[in-house]
Amino acid sequence: MFCMLTAAYGMLSAKRMTALIANFRLQSFFLFVLTLREAAKAGNAGLYIVAGLLFAVKVLAIPVFLFKIAKNIKVSENLGLLVNSQLSLAAGFLFTWGGWAFSRQLFGGRPVLMYTFTAVAFAVMAMGMFLMMFRMAALAQIVGLLVMENALFLLCEAVSGGMPFFVEFAIFFDVLVSVIILGIFVYRINKLFTHINVNKLTNLRG
Amino acid sequence: MEIFFILLIPLLLMACALAAKKIEELGYACALGYLAVFLLSLSLAATFLSSGAPISYFNFFYADALSVLFVLLISLVSFCAAVYSIGYIACDLQKGVITFRKARVYYLLFNAFCLSMLAVPLLNNMGMLWAAVELTTLVSTFLVGFYTTKHSVEAAWKYIIICSVGIILALLGTILFVYAVFFSSGLKSLNWTDMMACTGSLDKNILQIAFIFILVGYGTKAGLAPMHTWLPDAHSQAVSPVSALLSGVLIKTALYALLRYCMIVNKGMGTNHAGNYLIFFGLLSMAVAGVLILVQKDLKRFLAYSSVEHIGVICVGLGLGSAIALYGALLHVFNHAITKSLMFLGAGSIIKRYDKHNINAIRGVIAVMPFTGVLFFLGMFALAGFPPFSIFISEALIVISAFLAKAYWPAGLALFFIALIFAAMILRFPGMLFGQRPPDQEKTPEPLSTKLSLGFLLALACLMGFWVPGPFGRLLDQAVGLLRGV
Repeated sequence: MFCMLTAAYGMLSAKRMTALIANFRLQSFFLFVLTLREAAKAGNAGLYIVAGLLFAVKVLAIPVFLFKIAKNIKVSENLGLLVNSQLSLAAGFLFTWGGWAFSRQLFGGRPVLMYTFTAVAFAVMAMGMFLMMFRMAALAQIVGLLVMENALFLLCEAVSGGMPFFVEFAIFFDVLVSVIILGIFVYRINKLFTHINVNKLTNLRG
Repeated sequence: MEIFFILLIPLLLMACALAAKKIEELGYACALGYLAVFLLSLSLAATFLSSGAPISYFNFFYADALSVLFVLLISLVSFCAAVYSIGYIACDLQKGVITFRKARVYYLLFNAFCLSMLAVPLLNNMGMLWAAVELTTLVSTFLVGFYTTKHSVEAAWKYIIICSVGIILALLGTILFVYAVFFSSGLKSLNWTDMMACTGSLDKNILQIAFIFILVGYGTKAGLAPMHTWLPDAHSQAVSPVSALLSGVLIKTALYALLRYCMIVNKGMGTNHAGNYLIFFGLLSMAVAGVLILVQKDLKRFLAYSSVEHIGVICVGLGLGSAIALYGALLHVFNHAITKSLMFLGAGSIIKRYDKHNINAIRGVIAVMPFTGVLFFLGMFALAGFPPFSIFISEALIVISAFLAKAYWPAGLALFFIALIFAAMILRFPGMLFGQRPPDQEKTPEPLSTKLSLGFLLALACLMGFWVPGPFGRLLDQAVGLLRGV
């Protein structure tokens, strides 16, 4: 769980796309290990399948797809930091404290382990949103979205031991499809605008 | 059994789109298919009204008065959009704007979009409902960016990113609701019926916070201000029949999801807790739309901001929570869907003919395209809430109920913003509709499919202004009862 948080810090301090995607892969891997451990503890076959899906989709398929886009679009590797790495990291620490405070307010009186989990989930979620808002590259927005989803997955594990299997499956399907669609649009943006800087997409205003 | 056929037909039409050899035939098949879906929705409504009990299959599909109402609405607008698409896509194909392959892709996505929207009100499981709402975004993104221009790709990107963030927050809210149920009753279920059954014991603190996430999440998709920023871009850049679907029914599906949670929260809290939030965001949406609509030059953006206003009107009605207000709000959901679809379809024809989006650059529409021009002119009055059109009735019900509830400020503000937007329409549209025919525009016949769809929608907007058919009124009454927990 703390490894997931560390990977999120890694993403906040990353300056290049490949570093960001590698950190996302690492975070997803930790989430996979956590789910696998839960599955073993509960002896739940459904959770094993979910862990398998996590590994296949978020550790293998999506990072490979994102690396491929980063390589193919041939634009600067720079993420376009609107807030520099140090400040981003400081914001990350602030989110961690905020996540802890929010979690205590929401789940105070429940087992400490549970609200530690939820605190990490809320903090990681805020960091994902931060990445989406303060990184100019379109690919960073995709990763930010995926980080938010990882956080939700962790939260779900912590508070209710996961969703029913068919719902998990539907969510995985949605995640995969949304990443593919976003990837296609990154290609289109790059082709039409010759950059992937979302801050420069200002034709439609008002 | 109607539920299965309602979902099966769009699926079959998707397969037809893949195998089609002629686009016109595919267009007719789609129109007939959605006519069948509409008739099946009527049959579903009749079955529901005759039995009086919700229809449920495998504890997975579920249809009560609210679901039936939304299914009816989605199928009706889908049918009109499918009829309109016949002429619209054929024209694009003829002009070489799109290829045959792309026209097939359009129909494939159109049907997938309708399928995902039809699934939303028929699902009992809130996790699957979330997935269906997300699916509507994923499918419609391609329809927003369909023409692959700089504008449309930019709009599609903003649409998918903003709505995806919104939908993630909605999932967070859903997880917190699941936790609240799990913690209080030990039941690990995402079924709405199960959640409603144990509302009495839910943790109020968690319920309140979960609802805020749900409101922001589904509110983003519903186009509530200040999360509405994707809406004018997406609605203005989408293919016109899709703009009608986006504005007419897509934002209502998100509202439907929001309503399901409002019911849980209000019952769990024992007060109209959700109502205050809905009134606040409703008025904010009306204010934002009222100000920004005044500076809009793009015809479809203008109509998109009007959608933000109308979703605000609906939320104010829902927030007030009295029987009259809820009746007015649900009636407004229906009235706005048919009127706004009429306007977007009309706008699509005008933009296609003039090849311009700018209201100030378009002149003499009635002289060039008399049928569309006249219907667009009448639609303008309908949309502005002028009698005898249906929107007047539903808006009047909401405002009257606000006065009856002594909510003078919301009533006054709502009236002010409605008047402001009416003034904006009166200022903008007549200049575009009247005047001499521009020399570069020939008066040519309009496609029959356009005439049929526009005529049908306007007739419905007129009819509903005079008379709410009995069974439909009973359906509305039952939906109101459901929302009030009676």
